[in-house]
Amino acid sequence: MDLSAIGIDTNFGPVDWCIVVGYLIIVVSFGVYIRRYISNVTDFIVAGRGLKTFLAVATMIGTELGLVTVMYSAQKGFTGGFAAFHIALAAAIVTLVVGLTGFIVVPLRRMEVMTIPEFYEKRFGRGVRILGGTILAFSGILNMGMFLKAGSIFVMGITGMTEDIHLKVIMSVLLGMVLLYTALGGMVSVAVLDYIQFVVLSFSLLATSLLSIRYLGWDNIIETVSALKGEAGFNPFHSEGFGASYVVWMFFLGLVSCAVWQTAVIRACSAKNIRIVKKIYTWASIGFLIRFLLPYFFGICAFVYIAQHGPLKSIFIPHEGSADSQVTLMAMPVFLSQILPAGFIGIVSAGMLAAFMSTHDSYLLCWSSVLTQDVVAPWFKKGLSSNARLLLTRIFIVAIGIFILVWGLWYPLGQDLWDYMAISGAIYFTGAIALLVFGLYWKRASKVGAYLALIAGFCAVVGLNPVRGLVFRLASILGLETAEIQASINGMPGARLSAIIGLSVISMAMVLMVAGSIIFPDRGGSSEYKE
Amino acid sequence: MDFWINFWTIFFIASLVLFAGLAIVVSIGGFFNIRSLFKSLTNRDGQRAGNEEPAE
Repeated sequence: MDLSAIGIDTNFGPVDWCIVVGYLIIVVSFGVYIRRYISNVTDFIVAGRGLKTFLAVATMIGTELGLVTVMYSAQKGFTGGFAAFHIALAAAIVTLVVGLTGFIVVPLRRMEVMTIPEFYEKRFGRGVRILGGTILAFSGILNMGMFLKAGSIFVMGITGMTEDIHLKVIMSVLLGMVLLYTALGGMVSVAVLDYIQFVVLSFSLLATSLLSIRYLGWDNIIETVSALKGEAGFNPFHSEGFGASYVVWMFFLGLVSCAVWQTAVIRACSAKNIRIVKKIYTWASIGFLIRFLLPYFFGICAFVYIAQHGPLKSIFIPHEGSADSQVTLMAMPVFLSQILPAGFIGIVSAGMLAAFMSTHDSYLLCWSSVLTQDVVAPWFKKGLSSNARLLLTRIFIVAIGIFILVWGLWYPLGQDLWDYMAISGAIYFTGAIALLVFGLYWKRASKVGAYLALIAGFCAVVGLNPVRGLVFRLASILGLETAEIQASINGMPGARLSAIIGLSVISMAMVLMVAGSIIFPDRGGSSEYKE
Repeated sequence: MDFWINFWTIFFIASLVLFAGLAIVVSIGGFFNIRSLFKSLTNRDGQRAGNEEPAE
């Protein structure tokens, strides 16, 4: 996509480059410097469990308000209009309820586990921990597989770089910086850098919202969305838009992303005490709201701006069909590159890139610790030393980094990034939610029920387009008639399909957890967990 | 449709105001939390080094 050929130039200039490069050098150097405070694996993974309320809130929002979140949310705002706001509302309500009640997170913190699979072992035994850890790491790494690509598309959109080689170079450079300070600094550097990123990004996002309204005009935004998307652009229950099943799915995702998703739960595990866990979640509900809401709004503004600029409209909102998901991802950065003034655009980009790195560092740290603590370490009967765990975690960080570089370059996205994220995450959380809810609140939950729920959750993998294609191909080789099912799936909007698959798999995992526990109860009380 | 337009407009403005308040409070509070985190990590390292020194 060559935007300069159609007369679209970016406001991003040499001053902005200096701001971005200078900011990133300072941030990475600081992260490396903090290495001196790390003396054991607990410091590395949960910052010695010393995070207090405000810092924990900042790191939680800092992690969740990453560039990737901004990108996939802006894409959802671009394609769904104001109706996409319901996702932010659902996330805020659910996080607030978790904060007020301590649902799932308080019992987990009380048990002093570092990862969710560690809970599996205490409750259901070592085998469930290894299986759960493997599925969690697989799902989590797959989930972050598109992060590098989304970050690089942002850089390309905002700076005006359009060559394919730019994408590869930017992805490699960004990954190198993240790996450097995550592998060295662990959770202490993650927490401090998340804080810096929270401050820069919060204020620059607020300012960008006001500038967007000033540039486009609130009435103009409403009228354009109304004219081009109709009621589906506002009403989330409208059949031509998201639909009721998608809204229900978003409430589940809200619960998952704050109380079941390991990167968020690790914040609860890092908190100083249970009172602080509740406070973090109550405060962070505003962050969980904003991390979706503002990017949706930028996506909506990008839609309005592009709809009123002919050359751009033909690329991003074609008359027939819809634009490719990689193209709609670029809409928000292109819009920002047009309306933000030189200098300020550099600050916003630096904040976004810092956000990109802060999400990456948390995710890399999280999945590598799961692989070390829950997949590898349980195999050693005498246990692994703290130094061996630290070394292993660092090796996994680099290995995951290399994987996401290759995956980001190779995988054809083919659906909204948010739906890819939801379905790849569902491979883990649909099973995990059953284990957590029943394991924490139902004494009869058994090991067999846990295994069945985890295996059922893994079925969510069919929500990914290439896997579904593979399943249909296998079915046709086996002589099964699938044409009718394929036709009805192809005619369904991608978002609704992911909702139906996600909700079906969650129901299946819950049913199997209950049935497995009733039919095959635990004998002899293998569980160490006592309420 | 008017209901949803008004609902999202009020929701958006209220959220912006709420977040602006949160950003200010967390920025200030977080700074002091970082100071105390470093202080506690430094003190603990100092204590650990003291414990590891052989008794004379």
